[in-house]
Amino acid sequence: MSTLRNYAAVIVLLTGVATLSTSVANDTLPWAEITPQLGATGQLPSGRLSQRSLDALNETGKALFQAQFTPNDGAGRPNATQAIIPTKSKRPREHAFFRTAGPDASACSSCHNQPVLGGASDFVTNVFVSEGFNQADFDSIDPQFSNERGSNHLMGAGLVELLAREMSRDLATIRASALQAARKTGSDVTQPLISKGVSYGHITASPDGLVDLSGVDGVDDDLTVRPFSQKGVMTSLRQFTVNAMNHHHGMQADERFGLKVTGTDDFDEDGYKNELNAGDVSALVAWQAMLEPPVKNTPSDAAWVEAASRGNQGMQSYGCLECHRSALPLESLDFLDPGPLDVVGTLSSNSVESPAIYDLSLTYWADSLPRNEQGYVLVPLFGDLKRHQMTDRKNDALGNEQLSQRFVDRTRFMTAELWGVGSTAPYGHRNDYVALHDIILAHGGAAKASRDAYAAADEPAQLDVIAFLKTLVIQQ
Amino acid sequence: MNAQHVSYDCSAFQWAMHAFSNLSKRFFSRGCVRTSLSCAMFMGLFSTAFAANDKTLDGLVVPTFIEQAAASGIDHQYTGSWEFFVGGGGAAFDCNGDRMPDVFLAGGSSRSKLYKNISLAGEPLRFEQVPLNLSEKDSLSVTGAYALHIDGDAHIDLVVLRVGRNLLLRGDGNCGFTKANRQLSFDGGREWTTGFSAIWESGAPFPTLAFGNYIDQTAPGSPWGTCHDNLLVRPNLAANTSSNGPAYNDTTQLTPGYCSLSMLFTDWNNSGEPSLRITNDRQYYRGGEEQLWRVPTQTAPKLYTKRDGWKRLTIWGMGIAEADLNSDGYPEYALSSMGDNMLQQLDTEAEEDQPQYRDVAFDQGTTAHRPYQGDDSKPSTGWHTEFADFNNDARTDLFIAKGNVSAMPDFADIDPDNLLLQHPGGGFVEAGMESRINLPTQGRGALISDFNADGQLDLIVINREASVSVFQNIGVAESWGSKPLGNWLAIELQQTETNPQAIGARVVIKTGNLSQSRTVSVGGGHAAGSNGFLHIGLGVAERATVRVRWPDGDWSHEYRVFANHHAVLKRDADKAIYWYPVERVTN
Repeated sequence: MSTLRNYAAVIVLLTGVATLSTSVANDTLPWAEITPQLGATGQLPSGRLSQRSLDALNETGKALFQAQFTPNDGAGRPNATQAIIPTKSKRPREHAFFRTAGPDASACSSCHNQPVLGGASDFVTNVFVSEGFNQADFDSIDPQFSNERGSNHLMGAGLVELLAREMSRDLATIRASALQAARKTGSDVTQPLISKGVSYGHITASPDGLVDLSGVDGVDDDLTVRPFSQKGVMTSLRQFTVNAMNHHHGMQADERFGLKVTGTDDFDEDGYKNELNAGDVSALVAWQAMLEPPVKNTPSDAAWVEAASRGNQGMQSYGCLECHRSALPLESLDFLDPGPLDVVGTLSSNSVESPAIYDLSLTYWADSLPRNEQGYVLVPLFGDLKRHQMTDRKNDALGNEQLSQRFVDRTRFMTAELWGVGSTAPYGHRNDYVALHDIILAHGGAAKASRDAYAAADEPAQLDVIAFLKTLVIQQ
Repeated sequence: MNAQHVSYDCSAFQWAMHAFSNLSKRFFSRGCVRTSLSCAMFMGLFSTAFAANDKTLDGLVVPTFIEQAAASGIDHQYTGSWEFFVGGGGAAFDCNGDRMPDVFLAGGSSRSKLYKNISLAGEPLRFEQVPLNLSEKDSLSVTGAYALHIDGDAHIDLVVLRVGRNLLLRGDGNCGFTKANRQLSFDGGREWTTGFSAIWESGAPFPTLAFGNYIDQTAPGSPWGTCHDNLLVRPNLAANTSSNGPAYNDTTQLTPGYCSLSMLFTDWNNSGEPSLRITNDRQYYRGGEEQLWRVPTQTAPKLYTKRDGWKRLTIWGMGIAEADLNSDGYPEYALSSMGDNMLQQLDTEAEEDQPQYRDVAFDQGTTAHRPYQGDDSKPSTGWHTEFADFNNDARTDLFIAKGNVSAMPDFADIDPDNLLLQHPGGGFVEAGMESRINLPTQGRGALISDFNADGQLDLIVINREASVSVFQNIGVAESWGSKPLGNWLAIELQQTETNPQAIGARVVIKTGNLSQSRTVSVGGGHAAGSNGFLHIGLGVAERATVRVRWPDGDWSHEYRVFANHHAVLKRDADKAIYWYPVERVTN
């Protein structure tokens, strides 16, 4: 018995030492191992932010994006998995970092850095996406456990989210209109789901309020356009931020993992409470939302300019631009945060008294965006914010994932936005195509006809396409 | 007085006493076994000291309810003398095919009423009374009601429980009802009926009905020891089942009856074969107990006895609710009573297929044995009890309607209803006061349904000698308004052949590693039940997968559904269909 007590005493002593070793966090010292910007935002921003407030928030967000979070910040999640629903791990993590299941980075910028902060990543920083429920501690890159993905760039992400919000609004309006007409006429009403020229199939509303969704294409059944991730499964920058901060850093946001959700303010049991408050998340969202969008560069080489011009036309004629749409019109540059489409677990507009409005027209780059005759901003994303089947019997190279993700089949992916593609090699959802030519030829499924047209073109015509794509760059 | 069964009543208390002091245990074992009443009062006095559950509301999202009976258009009371001290129920169901729950309310000595739900999605609750095509006699003396499809047509019907002849009302799909006792060859009896449940037995085209009866007032010595038998009424398949529907003249008496106040068909052993659980009022029976009947398909029901493992239990049984709280496939049962509300869990140490339960109410914090506010430490009186997720946090909560029988001096006079929220760390925490349902009324039956289709469960409590309480769940109250609770899902099952609402089906909802289940049932509570969409809180989950074990035992494929939607799952359909309520049109 006394031996047992002695062991216990030793354990207590060691625990105390361990605690001391991770609690050297006097935040008054300039060299303290903490991130001073955490908590700096204070209360959740609200209302329309002035240029000055926006700049301050932006600065904080940038610092948080670059911060290498430490245990004193609450980094690490010894007893929680990477899952988007708070989930306890089966056993405590042995190491702070875990290359496959995460946490796998100390900072957001560890991956999103090419060619600038907020950019994409090389193959070496691929992430391993798993739901984090069963076999959450997978220690293998075998695709039966996770989908290996490259990190997308975030440039222009605010515009992308605004486009998705407006498209989701349009689709919901179509649904409401179909229901209203069906109830009024007493007959089924079928309506096409089209927003900003992009077709998402059709719905049929019945007089009794039922909606047949079997004709829906490329968007979730709730008709919410989720623009982020290779699969298009994340609704907002805010949701992406909350997910990623837990997955990659073990920094758990209160709005998903806090006391009112999990019954504890230290869900991951790392000894740190309230690791990421709503203001911190807002700062990160604001910075990402205001990132300058990629541009179409005009090369100094006249031959390149001419080739790019031919390549653009070639893409048009091959049908590439049916999905990689050169621009989508955006009505408003007011970015609400929290946004209107998130559900509980990520703060949303209806969860706060007054959401903040980040006026993207205050950014230095806003005036450079073209507008159409209606005054809408033409967002040059070369995408359609829609999912497509990307494989067929002959072309199944992009069908290399074995796991579906959040109801999206494993061979369906969001159209990759090509803006910035000239700055973000390698390519493909696994970042394993070094050459643009190769990733074009890897297309299949819905892109088969375009891919075949490109493949049938002569080499100079193919090179023209490459020339054009190389002009779509991220400003440095 | 049987000391053995009374000591069982006190088992939870004894456990607590054992844990805290031998002195207390001695007192308890000697003094408290004398009567359950003193036991309950003892617990009332010392409940704070012996709270097994130290959880607080800090870790919980508390819903806020706004009482708006008058504003909603409902003006109704359950009234009457002794015969109507019990009962006071009703039914929430869709009587006009718009998928919004309408409301039938029992009136006791007052006329019953039917209200059509005219609420718009997410807006304040609104009802308008519609006429009931019943004689004055038939609309009086009503104790409760349950809705279900009886006659095989497309419209939902209504079973009306009465002191006197019970009624089967055929629905016309537009909130019109016609008395159909004669058409359906249903006698209706002369008993004082206070409980009901129904099930589709295997292969049966029509439901089997069970009626729970209370005191036989005509028997010598009434009311003491003069309980009516309960009745099991099967559709007579040998009789003509033409367009008139089934013939309900195949009646089996469930003898002995012990003054039932609630009953529920339940698959207690996950066998696929329903049994009938009955809770009985010890105030009036002699030698009685709680009951569980085995109801083999189309053969005579058989009572579970001590030989089958059934443990004798006597309480003032008022209401039954079931939920599979620990997702093990075996339901837990909440039994409301006077003072000693119980939460029964199948004893894992019992032999297989033996219905032995242990009471975990104390451990789980659901004894709700005295009022949670005020200085009255007398035991409280529980009636309607029902599990539901009121705050959408993916944990099932428990509601108990409370109220003194009439003027019983040994029981709490001011006795507000309970809202016991399940805590993430386990156990339940009282939130009646914080959620603002703490009215000083005498609650009886209750209807828990999402009356304005906003994904947040609302609550109607039928009160004795006072207006019903119509509580709209507005979510989380804030100084600037309110914000949503957790995410949610509403599920409607459809079958095309018989049993269109799939009564008896089990629905398993999976979010992450969490599995929740719901059983589609008719019965239980206290003379009241809700019918329609199954409500499931999803917490922070954005989507869920759903599987259905249809009443015949077949499992469905996996349906994938997004949170915050009403999903209609048609048997054999590839995917869910979403339903959208009528919204206010904005220009």
